[in-house]
Amino acid sequence: MGFPGPIRKFLERRYDTEVAEGFLDKQIHKRLPPHTGWLHVFGSLAMLLFISQTLTGIMLLIYYRPTPDEAYKSIQFITGSVHFGWLYRQVHAWGASLMILALVFHMIRTFFMGSYKKPRELTWVTGVLLFLVTITFGFTGYLLPWNQIAFWATTVGTESANKVPVIGAWLQYFLRGGDSVTGETLSRFFVVHVIILPWILAGLIGVHLFLMRACNLATMEDVDAEKKIPSEHGIPFFPVHVAKEGVVAVFLVAVLVTLSVVAPWEIGEPANALSTPAHIKPEWYFLPSYQLLKYFEGEYGAVIGIFACGVPFALLVFWPFLDRGKARHPKKRPIAVGLGLIGLLGALFLGYLGHVSETEQTYFGQRYHIDLLGWPNKIVEGEDAPSEAPH
Amino acid sequence: MNQTKKTTRRGFLDWLIAAFSAVAGLAMTIPGLMYLWPAAKGGAAEAVEISGAGQMKPGQSVTLQVGGKPVIVVRGRTGFLAFSASCTHLGCLVTWETQKKHFACPCHAAVFDANGGVVSGPPPAPLPPYVIKEIGEKVYVSAPA
Repeated sequence: MGFPGPIRKFLERRYDTEVAEGFLDKQIHKRLPPHTGWLHVFGSLAMLLFISQTLTGIMLLIYYRPTPDEAYKSIQFITGSVHFGWLYRQVHAWGASLMILALVFHMIRTFFMGSYKKPRELTWVTGVLLFLVTITFGFTGYLLPWNQIAFWATTVGTESANKVPVIGAWLQYFLRGGDSVTGETLSRFFVVHVIILPWILAGLIGVHLFLMRACNLATMEDVDAEKKIPSEHGIPFFPVHVAKEGVVAVFLVAVLVTLSVVAPWEIGEPANALSTPAHIKPEWYFLPSYQLLKYFEGEYGAVIGIFACGVPFALLVFWPFLDRGKARHPKKRPIAVGLGLIGLLGALFLGYLGHVSETEQTYFGQRYHIDLLGWPNKIVEGEDAPSEAPH
Repeated sequence: MNQTKKTTRRGFLDWLIAAFSAVAGLAMTIPGLMYLWPAAKGGAAEAVEISGAGQMKPGQSVTLQVGGKPVIVVRGRTGFLAFSASCTHLGCLVTWETQKKHFACPCHAAVFDANGGVVSGPPPAPLPPYVIKEIGEKVYVSAPA
């Protein structure tokens, strides 16, 4: 591998190209553990989505105007008038959700295979930070269309910051750029979304990849008992694993375009600071926290709720330093695997409750009104659904 | 055995460079942080006229902004009542339900009575009241002093 003749000669006369080529060659032909397979493509998938988000984000920036008067209109213009504007907007909106989904699957795979254990603790920590930054990307980007759902989801989200003990009021004021969600908030979120977070994420990806390459992928052997992979046994990164990633990339493009056509994101109504739409709900990845917050009432309820929502994330960050057992195989780690399953199923269950709360659903042929807290109340024919939660 | 660590000229210079760098860094960081802090905007004490107040019938309500914050004004039988329209739970705007004579929040089903007190739901505090002043035919609403 290398550059074509004249360029190669030009570079060789100026730089020690052998070092660079040797480094690239080593990375490309690195041997991965024998169990490396399709489950190991989610990290690359998330990175592909980051690249897609960056490119579509730049395209959208050409026409987007980050002011309360123009933001909504510019999104309408992108969708309705700009050539393929609808496609780039949809791919960007769907890409955000898929990127978070890819990261969730990547973290699940890493957790259950025990790949976060020594010596890869920091790889895991940077991975969790990547996940948190990506969620923040979603939160800040959500406001930019300046529609009703965005405006009120941001109002509720930033109001939650007010419940943080001691610094809550300052934090909320700082995030909003004032007392309430206004053009100042839009400017702040815009800058964070398009300038600050992309650089933080790119830097974190760089560190994550460096650490991943430095320690190689984890085998299923116990901590401190990992053997170096002999070249005849390992899976070649190129072409075997790269081919899998190529297949996934093609599949990803197909999924993104299909979703964009089949299930486009609505622009909705423009933001109105004097009217809250009924039953606003956050994006799917905030639904577990949204639902959990509802169970804490009273003067200190929200504070406890914020704490309860923060604990799982804190546990995720520090998990490799809490679980110091040497076994990696899930069968040898019943407690960690059990806790992981409980956390995962708990998040899914809360997310589902958040999704169906304050709606009507049919289970086994019976209509139910699901109240605020997720309790199903039978609807008797001829009666209206209860308008308020009985709890 | 006690040994006094001798400060070398190089060590002292290293320390001096580190100290100057820290001071310079701090000197640049503080204005930067102050720049990021939201600039205060006036209007907290402004009184806003309720347009069409004279035409409002008992039980009717209107939501308007006072000092950049949403306020809900309800016409009662004896006069006007005004409260912050932001639900004390998570900031969604409450609406006045005339038939039920209460304020309801569309986000988490909170209910406040006609005096702003919490009836049900997750809000930790009542709706803060605003001040109403009637001058002749005109009605003004302002934040409490």
